[in-house]
Amino acid sequence: MTQVRVRPRRLSPEEVRERLGRPDAMVEAKILDRIDEHFRRFIAHSPFLSLATADAAGRADCSPRGDYPGFVKVLDEHTLAMPDRPGNKIADSFRNLAENDGVGLCFLIPGVREMLRVNGSAYVTDEPDVLARMHTEGREAVLALVIEVEQAYFHCGRALVRSRLWDPASQALADEMPSAGELITSQLGWDVEPKVVDEGLEDAYHSLY
Amino acid sequence: MQVQHTVIDRVDHAAEDVVSLVLRATTDSLAPWEPGAHIDLTLPNWLTRSYSLCGDPADRDRYRVAVRHDPLSRGGSEYIHHYLRAGRALDVSLPRNHFPLLPAPQYLFLAGGIGITPLLPMLAEAVSADVPATLVYVGRSTSTMPFAEELRSRYGDRVRLVATGQDGRPDLAALAAELSPDALVYCCGPAPMLAAAQAAFPAPRLHTERFRPAARTFAPNTPFDAVCARSGHTVPVAADQSLLDALNRAGHPVPSGCREGVCGSCELTVLSGDPEHRDDIGAPAGRMYACVSRALTPELHLDL
Repeated sequence: MTQVRVRPRRLSPEEVRERLGRPDAMVEAKILDRIDEHFRRFIAHSPFLSLATADAAGRADCSPRGDYPGFVKVLDEHTLAMPDRPGNKIADSFRNLAENDGVGLCFLIPGVREMLRVNGSAYVTDEPDVLARMHTEGREAVLALVIEVEQAYFHCGRALVRSRLWDPASQALADEMPSAGELITSQLGWDVEPKVVDEGLEDAYHSLY
Repeated sequence: MQVQHTVIDRVDHAAEDVVSLVLRATTDSLAPWEPGAHIDLTLPNWLTRSYSLCGDPADRDRYRVAVRHDPLSRGGSEYIHHYLRAGRALDVSLPRNHFPLLPAPQYLFLAGGIGITPLLPMLAEAVSADVPATLVYVGRSTSTMPFAEELRSRYGDRVRLVATGQDGRPDLAALAAELSPDALVYCCGPAPMLAAAQAAFPAPRLHTERFRPAARTFAPNTPFDAVCARSGHTVPVAADQSLLDALNRAGHPVPSGCREGVCGSCELTVLSGDPEHRDDIGAPAGRMYACVSRALTPELHLDL
């Protein structure tokens, strides 16, 4: 593989706008400032979202969150709460939020092509009445993220249609990937059988909470 | 887990924040049950929740349950209230009964709020068997108490409604004093009510059922081995792991519901070894609940 760094041409915002044209009024009108009953239903059935945060300098991070459908609770029409589950303890999102409370969420429901986008600000809480609602598999959440909603809107399904994300046949793509163990041992130059790493991961995936 | 396919026949407002659901069999008749029994509902959001059957055991085509919307819902009662409507298919478990009505010459039923549900068919059974029975039904106000009117019109004086907002709490000691020595007391309600009943009535005469586990402390967890007798596999259970998780992880799937020792769906048969029971059901001899209970002996031999 070539080691020459590729540097594609950078467009100015004006040039981008010129190429794309203006959004029609419909697109802007569909942005709500709250979670109405339709969005509430979406959240109640969504087991997965990606959470975008950024630090004070604007360096961004995007982190996946998943649990049973409805793991994000709608506390009221302007406020959501999401449990923090055990992960890698790097806590990039929490570190960013300490500097910059802006967040962007993108909720998915398997089989549904449209997504729910929610933008707003967030902070971390240990409020007992919030954590009590996140108890699962006999374990409590230790922390939760409170999201104050500023914008909420349906994102059209073109990305999911084009990506064939919910088409079971698309899972054949997984056959083209090395296992996580093969990938990690190769990237890090570990002198271990990839199978050992794969088994370790499989084992870790059994204790989810 | 054996599943029964039903469809929601109707959803009715039963009181403030309480709905009753009538589930109809889609094929055969439904499994029989006795007063005190509960079923697990498998909800579309993957959660399983247990509710007491509060319909008529003679109706083999329908089950009725009533669900209070818990403001601290983890996703069960909230989902039922917001999204379950008539016409939707719903899978339910076979009925299980950890709260059976034992024969007695007299009964006192003590219900707190939604705790009325298992006691409703008990009262009906006692009345139809001509056994003297009284229901003391406690709630904040009658508008928060499901089936209050139905009970009063059907059973008249045998039902005493106590709205604590207006009448204060019932005097359980006075009730205990009036009771014949052979009477049995059945109580279902929130934790403070169960504690008051435990203080007022002698333990052998009092039968209780809780919605959530009692706050208790246990000796520190120790590791033990679960021996699955049928396969001969030994599954080590670490101190920070439940028996249920260890078995599931080792490829011995055990069904589960509440995961806090209340619903009984993870019941196992113990062949030898002494379980340390931590459930709120009161496991019968030779049984244990894998979600919370552990072992007093280094090994437990299980019928798995």
